[in-house]
Amino acid sequence: MGTNWLMMEQSPDAGHALFGARLASVGRRLPETHRSTDEVMASTTHRTRVDLERLTGIHERRVSVGDDDSYSLALDAARDCLNRWDGNPEQIDLVVCCSITKYRDGLAQWMEPPFSVALADEVGAHHARTFDLSNACAGMLSGVFVANNWVRTGRARTALVVSGEYISQLAVNAAKHVHTIASRELASLTLGDAGAAVIVERAPEGVEGISTVGFTTIAEHSRLCLAYPAKHDAGARMFTKSRALQAAAIADVPIVLQEILDATGLSIEDIDCVIPHQTSARAIRKGMATVGAALGGSPRQPAVVTVDRYGNTASTSHTVALIEELEAGHLVEGDRVALIALASGIELGVVLFTVDAGLLAARPVTAPDEPPGAPAGTSDDAQQEGARHGAQS
Amino acid sequence: MGLRVDAVSVVTGDHLHTSGRKLADRAIEQALAEAGLAPGAIDLLVNAGIYHDRILGEPALAALIQEDIGANAEDPHEGARGTFSFDVANGAAGALTGLEIADGFLLDGTIDHAVVVASDSDPGHGLAPDFPFDPTAGALVCSRADDDHGILGFRWATSPDAAALRSGVLRFESGHNRLRLHEDDSFADSAAALAAKVAAQLLTDLGMTTSDLTHVAAAPFDVAFLDGLASHLGPAAPTIVRPTSDHRFHTAGLLAALAGAVAAPPSAGGERVLVVAAGAGIVAGAALLTR
Repeated sequence: MGTNWLMMEQSPDAGHALFGARLASVGRRLPETHRSTDEVMASTTHRTRVDLERLTGIHERRVSVGDDDSYSLALDAARDCLNRWDGNPEQIDLVVCCSITKYRDGLAQWMEPPFSVALADEVGAHHARTFDLSNACAGMLSGVFVANNWVRTGRARTALVVSGEYISQLAVNAAKHVHTIASRELASLTLGDAGAAVIVERAPEGVEGISTVGFTTIAEHSRLCLAYPAKHDAGARMFTKSRALQAAAIADVPIVLQEILDATGLSIEDIDCVIPHQTSARAIRKGMATVGAALGGSPRQPAVVTVDRYGNTASTSHTVALIEELEAGHLVEGDRVALIALASGIELGVVLFTVDAGLLAARPVTAPDEPPGAPAGTSDDAQQEGARHGAQS
Repeated sequence: MGLRVDAVSVVTGDHLHTSGRKLADRAIEQALAEAGLAPGAIDLLVNAGIYHDRILGEPALAALIQEDIGANAEDPHEGARGTFSFDVANGAAGALTGLEIADGFLLDGTIDHAVVVASDSDPGHGLAPDFPFDPTAGALVCSRADDDHGILGFRWATSPDAAALRSGVLRFESGHNRLRLHEDDSFADSAAALAAKVAAQLLTDLGMTTSDLTHVAAAPFDVAFLDGLASHLGPAAPTIVRPTSDHRFHTAGLLAALAGAVAAPPSAGGERVLVVAAGAGIVAGAALLTR
């Protein structure tokens, strides 16, 4: 007997849902400026002796150098998403903004009004209901969960879920305080900036779309990663007990994934592509190895890794990675994709959907390159080192 | 089917009890006791408060509250079930947003019980030297109504041109992060006008008029807004629930108003409560509670 721990929605034929939902378009915005891990580590006040690139597999990330903030990244991503969609913004019924960071006009954190009101107005979604949702790095997928529910129950026909994360400023603050590999701010040095957006809309008859979404909060671990406004610096600081967080995640992810599979009657081999939250290449590989051992098999493709290029872009990471896979031609019509949320809280969730022709048309292949799940360049030594210490938020 | 209000509670702090999180804990515990439910019965916990201890950015405050009250906080295991928690933000209308989200998951049978909690307090640590709201939390326990009673018919409108009329922004000033809250003198009336407009749309949807209502539960739960709302709703509107003191509410205001409406003596022929809220944005929402 398995667990019954997830708050889960399944296909329309289960429960009281009236309709199905699908991912109709995805958009993203990456800042122009590349910042290497070498540059990040060279910026630390103290001589840390930490080889962060070997530890995490992160070679570089994109960062705002004051030219972008959370709002502008979210807005540009929303526009990118809408430009690739075959509908009109006036048709959008719901706009949900899921950013952790709410920086606008530099490092001014907007508590209210919600970003979603201004975003809806600027993209022309003048009839949309609006609210902001915050759930750490699981925010966007939590937004997809709500949007999926509203579409399924007929409350909305089309929803725009968007996020902008100007979060690299945490690394700027952390660089002043990190001393050693055991520093609780080390994970902040892995962060990168990005905007991302997804359109969830009613699925036509016969389109599988989003088959299952399930989420849970393992709240006894809620204090393992905490972020607050900095006391004497602009922006925020984040304090992470990485080893404990990683241990809890590795223990719990296979359980919730099994629960999703049990609910859908699928096996892990039926999943074509797994896109986990992008924390570090090492953590992703270790986590997937644990999943494989626990579930007795593996997805068709290795887990997607984009953290080597973009760092941990917080709530936007799944969408950034999904677009990377679509544009690289790694996904084809009918592929079953599992987006796996893992965030402070601890928030665990899975969005299981099937790639359809509409999504492929919205994000056509532009840069066919290496095979899916290409390694991010960590050595065996680094993996062993990472296993001892971890660097995950 | 609507969203059944099983219990609603409001707790206020004092100079010794100012933690928004702890007030939220107490409000939920009180509401659960009133509903006769254990914390483990909660499937979904939505926090709609904005200003809380240290202005925590991550994780969602809801996760900390979930751990505090012991709602299935442990690692997944057989023989029990989990709880999902997250935060929403929609200004003083956030609790209504939380209720609509809960309604969606209750409607399709995904969950059996949800809690919507909203609390605000001075975040401390010198972050908000002029914080204008009194420490308050409200919590509402809800489930799916199997008849036509409960909260239903959510309607919303926004007026982004009026976004500058109310704001809360944390800025780095003179070596410190400082939270500055601003409310223009015209906010109350502009918000009341939009709230009345969306309420009228809701009543039209439901084939009703203001004279069919027994009460109005509204937020912002302050005199300026409520006076403006009364004026915009017109003379046929029923009694608007009003605060009994000069306590300054923010996101918990709607739940305080709902608590007042629920506590009012029952009317012959049932109660039809207009639930309406407006927050910074301006965003306004309305729904109908029937009992």
